[in-house]
Amino acid sequence: MDIAVPFGENSEAGDVARPHLDETATVALTALNNLKWAVAVIGPDRRVLFSNPRFGALFAGETVAVALAECIGLASDGDGTAARKMTLCDGRTLSIETVRLPQGLLVTAEDVSERVAESGRAAEQACTDPLTLLSNRSMFCERVTELVANLEPTTDAAAVLSVGLDQFKAINGSLGRPVGDALLRVVADRLRSALRQGDIAARFTGSEFGIMQTGQPQPQSAAALAERLTDLLSRSYTLDGHLLNIDASVGIALIPDDGNSCDQVMRNADLALDRAKQERPGSYRFFETVMNEQMQVRRDLELGLRTALALRELALVYQPQLNLVSNEITGFEALLRWHDPKQGLIFPAKFIPLEEETGLVVPIGEWVIRTACREAAGWPPSLSVAVNVSAIQFNSLKLFSVIQSALEESGLDPSRLELEITESVLLGDQRSALEVLQKVREIGVRVSMDDFGTGFSSLSYLRSFPFDRIKIDQSFVRVRPDDPNSGVIVRAIAALGRSLGMATIAEGVETEAQLARATANGCTDVQGYLISKPLPPEQIGGFLQAQTEILAAAPATA
Amino acid sequence: MTSDLHRLVYCSRNRIPGAATEIAAEIDVILAASQRNNLRFGVTGALIFNTGAFAQVLEGACPDVESTFERIQCDQRHRDVQVLAFEGVPSRVFPSWSMAYVGRSREAQDLFGHISKATGFEAKRLEGDRIFGIMHTIAVEEEAGAG
Repeated sequence: MDIAVPFGENSEAGDVARPHLDETATVALTALNNLKWAVAVIGPDRRVLFSNPRFGALFAGETVAVALAECIGLASDGDGTAARKMTLCDGRTLSIETVRLPQGLLVTAEDVSERVAESGRAAEQACTDPLTLLSNRSMFCERVTELVANLEPTTDAAAVLSVGLDQFKAINGSLGRPVGDALLRVVADRLRSALRQGDIAARFTGSEFGIMQTGQPQPQSAAALAERLTDLLSRSYTLDGHLLNIDASVGIALIPDDGNSCDQVMRNADLALDRAKQERPGSYRFFETVMNEQMQVRRDLELGLRTALALRELALVYQPQLNLVSNEITGFEALLRWHDPKQGLIFPAKFIPLEEETGLVVPIGEWVIRTACREAAGWPPSLSVAVNVSAIQFNSLKLFSVIQSALEESGLDPSRLELEITESVLLGDQRSALEVLQKVREIGVRVSMDDFGTGFSSLSYLRSFPFDRIKIDQSFVRVRPDDPNSGVIVRAIAALGRSLGMATIAEGVETEAQLARATANGCTDVQGYLISKPLPPEQIGGFLQAQTEILAAAPATA
Repeated sequence: MTSDLHRLVYCSRNRIPGAATEIAAEIDVILAASQRNNLRFGVTGALIFNTGAFAQVLEGACPDVESTFERIQCDQRHRDVQVLAFEGVPSRVFPSWSMAYVGRSREAQDLFGHISKATGFEAKRLEGDRIFGIMHTIAVEEEAGAG
């Protein structure tokens, strides 16, 4: 029995010289030395006046000085009573209490590392579904509640998806629990594979799952995920030699639209799930019926767009571009139109975002380039054709070869083809887009920057590539009476273009006044309804003829 | 759990956007991944494809075929997966793994024709079996539908 009791001159050991006190002291000392807790008394000069073996063991080595310093620091304020948990640099967690004694500071400490780890594991178990290792319902609710509380209603949006499996009970019944459980684990894995960073998945009970989706635009993202899940989870499963089929239905509730509490949101997601199961098992429904209608419209549009190309419902029209110096038409911009047999004419604003989201912009874009080249090859050689190319098309490795082969097939001289690109092409992965642009330029094709002035940093993009032309966005051309600055801006852009050797074309010119202003501000070209609305190919010949006649009839300018 | 030899046959619709040339890059990726995985797990078989469809035969120990199929099920490059057969079998019809373009498009034939030779695909192994015949027919029909 080691008694590590440094008795110094100033100790009060001498005061306990009386016999019965002596015995009590011995018993006490023995008790202290056998305590599971570390005990020490630290004098005012930081000397350890007493410590039991456990203290010595616990605070062995370098950790002693640091730990002691912390304890003393802790206790120096107030009456010296303190209690806290401290994590040592070797990873152990200690629980330390101090009490001030006349002799100094009484320190009691215990290694609680195991207990902390244990409670961590228990906490995790309390939030986890043991079968699938997804969160459990109560944990999910906590997160939803937290989200609802911290949501910024104007900017943030979130969604809760309730996923239910049909025919699951039948599988449990006919093939037994072990197979049912194994199936649930595979379902959970497939579910996890469809999630993105920030999404939370949980298993509620039986065969119902929940997902919370945050940080993504709604309602599209919830719809996209629900679409993926109804497809993915409904695909056959092979387990233990069995081929199993189930249907997965999904109900969606949006936050904050469909609820501002966890209960409300989840109840509405479940209601939506019930509707989905009733109306069409293996599908998804939003809680809000209007949302369903919107999604339906979008889906129909997408389906229609997919077949539009094959069914020749897409067409190009061409809007003339006029040069202000020569007063001659120098070319046409090709614009896409969609003639849906049911809905009639659909304008690009409605379907181009959809094109880009679905990736259809690549095959459609290819068709546009080929068709425009073929059409332009039949025009007089002084005329060029400008084609809009989206950023997504630049992601396809094929863009350059499509352009090259379109030029070869049509026989169009490369200098008569112009690509109109917006800033978004140069955002992000600039290098690959720039490479394509360089290659395209090398074969003689021209490139113009579209919608100039509307993006974040149009000017810096002007530096990154030698554009041939700048297209000034119509918002600057259509000056409102109370906005004198637009004219200033157009003048500046035109001057910039001149200095950089780039032509400038004012878009959306609809009135004589706008035309006069564009001319006065130094633009080299104009485009807009005043010159002509976009024309179907068969009307181009007639238009050009009329233009020639107008020019011939005009008085000669000095 | 059975480890006996199993065979799974399925068809699906090709979902890779674009025409034959767009699909080519994806096909290369699928080829490389399939050869790698199937070598590791002892799964043999054959994959036939065109611009409209995929159809595949997988043969191997039941758990290996199941896990391979599960990976295929999670792949977004196809949809409408239809399992035509899944059963224990006495022996393999395809002792190794091979892949081939099957269809009527000239362009696709030019693009993909080399794959069947490179992987040792033998069309005759697909003959003489009802299921394989169906698989072949579905794949060719889907190509026409894909346009």
